[in-house]
Amino acid sequence: MEIHGAHAITQLATSGDDQYLVALAVASQDTAAFGELIRRHQSQVRNFLRKLAGGSTEDADDLSQECFLHAWDKLQTYSGRGSFIGWLLKVAYTTFLQSKRKSKRYAEVMDEVGHVAELESRSYTKSAEEVTDLDKLLAVLTQEERAIMVMSYACGLSHREIGEATGLPVGTVKSVIFRGKEKIRTSFDIKDHQHG
Amino acid sequence: MTSKIINMAEKLKDAEDRLLEAMFAAEPIADDGFSSRVVKRIRRRLWLRRLTLPVALVIGGAIAIKPASELVIAVSKLLAVVPEGIVEAPVAWLPQIQGVAIDASFVQTVVFGAVLLVVAVIGSRTILE
Repeated sequence: MEIHGAHAITQLATSGDDQYLVALAVASQDTAAFGELIRRHQSQVRNFLRKLAGGSTEDADDLSQECFLHAWDKLQTYSGRGSFIGWLLKVAYTTFLQSKRKSKRYAEVMDEVGHVAELESRSYTKSAEEVTDLDKLLAVLTQEERAIMVMSYACGLSHREIGEATGLPVGTVKSVIFRGKEKIRTSFDIKDHQHG
Repeated sequence: MTSKIINMAEKLKDAEDRLLEAMFAAEPIADDGFSSRVVKRIRRRLWLRRLTLPVALVIGGAIAIKPASELVIAVSKLLAVVPEGIVEAPVAWLPQIQGVAIDASFVQTVVFGAVLLVVAVIGSRTILE
């Protein structure tokens, strides 16, 4: 079957096959096919990065754009074994970590040259009205716990998929989730539903 | 079978998991031109990449033409001073091809060609990377 151009995308948009769109994008550098993949998954990726980054939505959306650009560059490395959204969240998490490292390095350099005031003015903090219950909940977690909890509870990824996305063994993913839940329980004084 | 497994996994989720899922749940974010912005950036990058190689080759060629010609002259001089014994030694090992005179100058040409080929491959790989 030979498929070309916009007609192909219309057909594929209804077929629900991410793998086929990936193959099309890789084989013929088809940006329209990749655009369809972005349309399908942008909401989850942006939500993931907004929760993970915690700052302004604009910053998280900039990061999401970077994530999709990285995904385009690395698309041929997607083997098609796991779900595409799982792979995409792996790219998003890597992009987030890289950006954190860059901003940390930037902060160090600014600190070295004595530009603390300028750096402070650049940082974004949410006002009291903007802080949601989820923000408070995520604040007690470490960066890794936050990423894993968001992948599990917000994105609905299985433990295996989270393991693939973060590069951690499934057992570690389970224990991180357990630890995260424990922290939330103790921080917000929630009674354990399983043990009374 | 799959649905049974999903149902079992769902039953194993406790109330706490459901509470967390509800807290983490977020409204879907509208595309609002996000995907077209990303696709536009990708197309721009592709176009730039396609343009970069020929432009780099033209600029690089213009810059390198003088040192390259000097290099060619230097290599040809170097090959000229290579002891005749070394140049002639492999000749005996080479099979004689009909219609091609395999002598010292032929070996020199082959060596010179190989050197140029290696330089070209390394150069093009560097440009592509």
